[in-house]
Amino acid sequence: MIEEIIIFGGIASGVYALLALGFTLIYGISGIVNLAHGSFYMLGAYLFSFITALSLLEPETMSNSILALVLAVILVAIIGSAIFRLAIHPIIGDEVAVMVVTVSLAIIFQQLILIIFGVSFLPVMWPKGSILTTSFRIFGVTVDYSRVLAFVASMILFIALSIFIKWTKIGKAMRAVSQDREAAMLMGINTERLYMLTMAISAMLAATAGILITTSTTRHAGVYMWLHPLALSFAIVILGGLGSIKGSLIGAFIIGYAEQTVAITVPEGGAIIGVVPLTVMVLVLLLRPKGLFGKRIEMEE
Amino acid sequence: MAISYLRRAYSSFAAHVFDIPPRLMAVLFFLILLLLPTCGLSSYYMWILIYANIIAIFALSWDLLVGRTGLISLGHALFFGIGGYSTALLFRHYGLPLWITIPVAVLLGALAGMIIGFPCLRVKGPYLALVTMAFPLIVSNIIKWSPLNPVFKGEIGIRASPFFPFLPIRQQRIAEYYLTLLLLFISAVIIYKIANSKTGIVFISILDDEVAAKACGINVTKYKIMSFIISSMFASLAGSIQAHFLKNANPSMFSLTLSFVPIIVTFLGGIGSIYGAIVGTYIYYILDKYVLIYLLPVLLRNFNLALPRGFEHAKLIIFTSIVLIFIIRWPRGIARYVTDKLQDLEEARDLDERGPRIWKRYKKKEKS
Amino acid sequence: MHLLEVDNLTKRFGGLTAVNNVSFHVDEGEIVGIIGPNGAGKTTLFNLISGFIKPDSGIVKFKGEDITGLSPHKIVNKGIARTFQVVRPFRHLPVIANVMVALKSPRGTKNIEWLKTMERKAADILEDVGLSEVMLEPAENVSHGDLKRLEIAKALATEPDLLLLDEPFGGLNPLEVNYLTKSIIRMHLDEPTRGILIVEHKLHALMKIVKRVIVLHQGEKIAEGTPEEIAKNQKVIEVYMGKAI
Repeated sequence: MIEEIIIFGGIASGVYALLALGFTLIYGISGIVNLAHGSFYMLGAYLFSFITALSLLEPETMSNSILALVLAVILVAIIGSAIFRLAIHPIIGDEVAVMVVTVSLAIIFQQLILIIFGVSFLPVMWPKGSILTTSFRIFGVTVDYSRVLAFVASMILFIALSIFIKWTKIGKAMRAVSQDREAAMLMGINTERLYMLTMAISAMLAATAGILITTSTTRHAGVYMWLHPLALSFAIVILGGLGSIKGSLIGAFIIGYAEQTVAITVPEGGAIIGVVPLTVMVLVLLLRPKGLFGKRIEMEE
Repeated sequence: MAISYLRRAYSSFAAHVFDIPPRLMAVLFFLILLLLPTCGLSSYYMWILIYANIIAIFALSWDLLVGRTGLISLGHALFFGIGGYSTALLFRHYGLPLWITIPVAVLLGALAGMIIGFPCLRVKGPYLALVTMAFPLIVSNIIKWSPLNPVFKGEIGIRASPFFPFLPIRQQRIAEYYLTLLLLFISAVIIYKIANSKTGIVFISILDDEVAAKACGINVTKYKIMSFIISSMFASLAGSIQAHFLKNANPSMFSLTLSFVPIIVTFLGGIGSIYGAIVGTYIYYILDKYVLIYLLPVLLRNFNLALPRGFEHAKLIIFTSIVLIFIIRWPRGIARYVTDKLQDLEEARDLDERGPRIWKRYKKKEKS
Repeated sequence: MHLLEVDNLTKRFGGLTAVNNVSFHVDEGEIVGIIGPNGAGKTTLFNLISGFIKPDSGIVKFKGEDITGLSPHKIVNKGIARTFQVVRPFRHLPVIANVMVALKSPRGTKNIEWLKTMERKAADILEDVGLSEVMLEPAENVSHGDLKRLEIAKALATEPDLLLLDEPFGGLNPLEVNYLTKSIIRMHLDEPTRGILIVEHKLHALMKIVKRVIVLHQGEKIAEGTPEEIAKNQKVIEVYMGKAI
């Protein structure tokens, strides 16, 4: 049992880190608390499934699936950018308004999916017969290769993005804006475009995480699936500290393992794992609001 | 902490100081509501109106907390659900009649308000919104957890006794309507009095500028808790009434969508004004259950069109989109926008007389 | 015993020391001024005294009692009231209600005379500062000069024993400056035991009212004395004019 916790906890944490990274980027750089982040996760999974189903003209192949993944992620990025431009940009000064707007959008997406796809679950998986549907045993635990892919892909993307932020010009611009928006604007950085780019990247990360997690765990998509990743995102980011990349990684592992422990040790734990990130978040906010590595919380005056 | 997109209508306060129209309007409004059942409406419409009455109480409670004191709550359904489950559980385990269980549920709601309120005070703005949003999600997850089914009965929920089991259906609805209307009226009066009392003034000061309120010697924490408790009490009241009306308490009482209803409703009716929450609730439910379900299809049938299949779900999209568009374009809600425009016209008209008129009014009040 | 005693007060914000080992006192009935170039730490000092910020070290004593680190509202109720440099009215409330908020505080309520209503007392206070005309206007519609007066009205509502005025003359035209100067002097005469501590930039207005001046520069007290002494103080002149001559 311990081995299960360690292995599955680690795998889940890896992908959660990617999800949380998207959330913390958009918050750290533009101050936007995007409550539709979970919706991007959901849209990624749904679009992946939809596009895969479309290409039934040819037999299901790995390349089809990869194409579907890429297309889905790009589509979500476009949707994210559109949301930013139309719904968020006009009210960007007001954090709370942004939250109300994004949660409205989340509800709207949920209803749209409900209308288009109905309540029944949609299958989200890699092509049958591909290596990803097989598994291997290690330390007495059966692990699917799809999970391995999820973990490896997430970690690679995470590292890639960290490098991007640290070394490229755009990445530096992002860091500049997150530290001091006005100074950055005075230096000629087009904050609006930067925000939109960040939003697109954040959406892409969420969509990718959505596809990776769903194909390796539940293998189906449902209309309410945006709630859990949303809870995870803000729990991890608040635990790790808003705006801290290192924090997202560490927070992801803490919460990932906490969830896994509950899921495996508690009876019917799977149903109640939603409580874990939420409780962690509430506790952190009440006891140490800036999290582990967060930036300073605003002062009185 | 100022919430720039939530604006309180100070006309309620003006009513207190000037002593005119809004109160009259409110009386007329209630008179209309009082006479509605005499129009011979079917049980279905009565059902909608009763439901609207209940949610109006809920929206009022939210408005006091958010629109008047400025504490963002995106999870007010928590107290609604606590009210509903308390009354149902008390009935189930102790067989107590509803005129005992409902007040107890209200008290439990107040207790919950106090418990939840204290930690919530330490977090500001967006964090408060997140925390308030998390609580009902946590509670509903726990309630739906299968090992606890013997206690909470999972998704199905717990049965609760109806209000007037001895009456035939049609009369039941009418009785329930008047009962809920009475409770709504009492709640509205109480909340109105609180909002326009000196305590209410302090609430608004916290909404406007917490730091300045502290500088005036106000114990902001005390007043925030007070607002929390009053608000949670009325939300629990609404929840407990609904449990007995629908004869069931289930996890949907904690849903995010329910927490979102006050936002929609106050956008339609105007936030921060007491009557706005009530009017908005009625507009919402009339639109939701009547206009969109009956009138619209009739209209479309004239053009040989029918409602698309998923229209049930689309309605929520419509209302949420309204909220969306309004926050982005008109942060003060429709009703406020209209009354603002009217007020602008009126001001433009008597610009000259305004100054001395105010002084005259004060002198008159001074004499009384 | 001094009315207000500040001993070795220090506050750091990250790498910046905003207030560095500042000590001074204010006695009953004194009007003391605090001056200094921008960024000298004057407002931080006010925030430390009034409880909005906790100091890193040092003590604030009021009427002999240690009030360091108490929460702001408790300090107000002990008898220290402050105004803000940038006015902070309650925008949605009418002017009179703004004052009523302060009257609703424990100290404010305690000091309302037996037969008066809160509204009456608020109206009286507003009359004292000359705001009767706009009493029922929502604060957001009122002119800046009036808002400055409202700040003072709110502070006076709690009948403080020590009044902290943060740049009360800011943004006022010469007529308003004149009026405010007279008001402050009248306030002083009405309540001779009340201490007044004023942070101000407009030196000519300030020097006319205060008995004693404290000069801050980069968080430190660099001089203290009567207005005449300070005007002749070499260090002070350097700090204001810059060293290059």
